[in-house]
Amino acid sequence: MREVTNTQKRGTLTWIGQAVSGVLLLGLLGLHMIAHHFIVEGGLRNYQQVLDYVGNPVIVAIEIVFLIVVTFHAMVGLRSVILDIGLMAKQEKTVTRVLTVLGLVIVVYGIFLALTLFSRAA
Amino acid sequence: MTTPDYPSESKAYPGQKPRPRGRDVSRWFLPFKRDVSYWGFVLNRVAGLGLVLYLLLHMVALSQLLGGEAGWDRFIDLTTSPVFLTLDVILLAGIIGHGLNGLRVALVGSGLLVKWQRQLFYVLMTIAVVLLIIGGILIFTA
Repeated sequence: MREVTNTQKRGTLTWIGQAVSGVLLLGLLGLHMIAHHFIVEGGLRNYQQVLDYVGNPVIVAIEIVFLIVVTFHAMVGLRSVILDIGLMAKQEKTVTRVLTVLGLVIVVYGIFLALTLFSRAA
Repeated sequence: MTTPDYPSESKAYPGQKPRPRGRDVSRWFLPFKRDVSYWGFVLNRVAGLGLVLYLLLHMVALSQLLGGEAGWDRFIDLTTSPVFLTLDVILLAGIIGHGLNGLRVALVGSGLLVKWQRQLFYVLMTIAVVLLIIGGILIFTA
């Protein structure tokens, strides 16, 4: 029987995470596109409309979940493309660390932005 | 005995069916002996890389909101130009193509509809084109 290594288990979990986040994004991104672009006159909310929209805490929560899911999906996808090019084990670890930090920066900055606008709307 | 010039399986997703690949990304676009699922793979990667770049640009653009009403509304004026609207259509093509093709990858990778993956690709890409046309019309007429 073929032995399953920890690396393979991690790889399978990563694939499942990527697939699940991708399916979630079909809904979340669809909602985002409709709410921010397709039902808004002119295709983009002006500043006051943005504040009116993010003044609802449920909307802020949905936007933050969307941000986390899309960033996870993007960083895992980018990692898989880079790793498939063919790197040394040490370089692979560096890529994973850099992308983890980049993802965290995006999420933290996005949450800061959402909460700043929420506080302005209050 | 010769050694293959590419790994025997994906390092990102070990256990997945190996695809011919190498250090040279230009090999993605070689049209020889490629089936439709391979072009689906290339489409997913190219669109995915574009969308990662867009995510970063989108975060930079959203920082205009911190500058208040004047900064954001000036940015909105910029987005109504034909060049920007054309970029919006390209973005929408990437989102729809990557999303629907990614759904195919998730289904097939989970062992569902494997025998019909070719037909699934054509059906989903037809839906993508229809959605893109509708979205494109909305973008230019909204």
